[in-house]
Amino acid sequence: MESRNHQKIIFAAAVLVMVAAFGISLFVGRYSIQWGEIGGDTMSTRVFFSLRLPRTCMALLAGVGLSVAGSVYQSLFRNPLAAPDIIGASSGASAGAAAAILWLGGGAVATALCAFAGGFVAVLLALALSAASGRRGAITVVLSGIAVNAVAQAVLMLMKLTADPEKQLASIEFWVMGSFGDMTMDKLLGAAPWALAGLAGLFLLHRQVLLLGLDEEEARALGVRTTLMRRCILLLATLVTGAIISVTGLISFIGLIAPHLARLLTRSSRFSTTVLSGILGGALLLIADCLARSIGSSEVPVSIITSLLGAPFLFWLMCRKGEDHG
Amino acid sequence: MGELLRVEGLSAGYSGKKVLETMNFSVNAGELFALLGANGSGKSTLLRAVCGLLPYEGSCRMEGREIRKMSERERARRISCLTQRGGVQLPLSVLDVVLMGFNPLLGLLENPGKSHRQKARESLALAGVEELAERDFLTLSEGQRQMVLLARAFVRDCPLLVLDEPDSALDFQNRHRMMALLSRLCREKGMGILLCSHDANFAMEYADRLLLLHQGNLVGDLSMGTVTVPQLESSLSQLYGPVEVLEHRGLRIMIKGETR
Repeated sequence: MESRNHQKIIFAAAVLVMVAAFGISLFVGRYSIQWGEIGGDTMSTRVFFSLRLPRTCMALLAGVGLSVAGSVYQSLFRNPLAAPDIIGASSGASAGAAAAILWLGGGAVATALCAFAGGFVAVLLALALSAASGRRGAITVVLSGIAVNAVAQAVLMLMKLTADPEKQLASIEFWVMGSFGDMTMDKLLGAAPWALAGLAGLFLLHRQVLLLGLDEEEARALGVRTTLMRRCILLLATLVTGAIISVTGLISFIGLIAPHLARLLTRSSRFSTTVLSGILGGALLLIADCLARSIGSSEVPVSIITSLLGAPFLFWLMCRKGEDHG
Repeated sequence: MGELLRVEGLSAGYSGKKVLETMNFSVNAGELFALLGANGSGKSTLLRAVCGLLPYEGSCRMEGREIRKMSERERARRISCLTQRGGVQLPLSVLDVVLMGFNPLLGLLENPGKSHRQKARESLALAGVEELAERDFLTLSEGQRQMVLLARAFVRDCPLLVLDEPDSALDFQNRHRMMALLSRLCREKGMGILLCSHDANFAMEYADRLLLLHQGNLVGDLSMGTVTVPQLESSLSQLYGPVEVLEHRGLRIMIKGETR
């Protein structure tokens, strides 16, 4: 009973922080907006609805989506450091975005579509390679993912070599660093349905995610069709991450920090912990985005902030685990 | 008691190399069946094949149905299998670990309900570890984990229980407790149990039958009710080298014999 109350308090606190961060994010930025100024045909109203609201909603969605997907990857691969990189989704998306910048003019829609397609193709390729190997198990998918990741990185480097250093190379680098700076309502509405559909699928299959976290044979002995289920869940997680990073660029560490923080607070990996990791991820990314647009004279890519927050957290977590295990 | 499992001409192995050669035996309901053999004799391979986790040649039928033709779900509804490498890697409560045992009985998107939770607690109580229900599985000792996984193995009342060295991390007392519990499940619930163990003394005390494996071949199928001490001695000597079997207060105990 005490533990349940403890969990309720944690959940309430996390929701409160997320709501507060959402509220602050709506009004923080170079163009200052007051609540009373919204309404009517004013500059503040236009900034609020065309820039601030989509940006804040996207930061929230990205935080929730990347954290839930990170939590799923970590469970599926039985690896606490697993992230979309592990099966090539991020590198594939980066290569896709770079291709759009190089050969399709780098427009927002083309970049987003190519990044999404790149991420998806990379994951499909990793799954196809693991299927072709004829071996079962998460480790085969990881090894195939590492191979695809390496190829996507090589392709990305080749494209960078041929890019015009002044414009295209800068655009590629900026995309890779991730930002909510040029978020629009169209981009949000383009990405959100895919990400939400993927999230819904992951939530519905959450029990299978936990079962896939067991040893391969153990899961099969419990009646799980491991190969099929792993592919379905990976594709859903890729749908979430692909939809998000296609419009935001790469955002580091959130998918790693939030699930660990949630597990640390609840000491569990069950469904409620995955939900909590989504709430914490949303709150953290909203805070990181507020910092990204307010700490310097010009906006800082959000991945710099999340990495600066994430690295010390990981180090602390490492020391803490060392203490736990004596 | 009816026949649950019939194995005929079963061979299995890894990467094209056969580990087991043409096995023939059957397991009846209400029977505790212990597989004995030295390391590498093929015990785990046989159990994996029976659970449908390893491809095999020949025939292996559960209640008349060929195991390799069943889906994972169908198999898991009939055979509850406790593998050697088990357990979760991320923090999860013991109760949640036991609830995983209901997976074959639940729909893909269905969650365990109140009755499942109640049954899971009863299963933990049966294994004598009900006080661990809310503990994090990762913080348990190896022996406690084994008892929890055992509770998960019998939570869904499958007709056949297949256990790969379920006693390997248990102390002397818990080993007795577990074997007595398995024996009781056979008698009271009519389950068939097929387990492999390295402890011949526990197997002789609790099992109804012993299946002896040596280098992938079946070298003995002994019914403990009728087998004599000299027969036991000569059969076990094939597995472990020279051994003596003593009788003490109705129990049979194997000790290392003198090398001649």
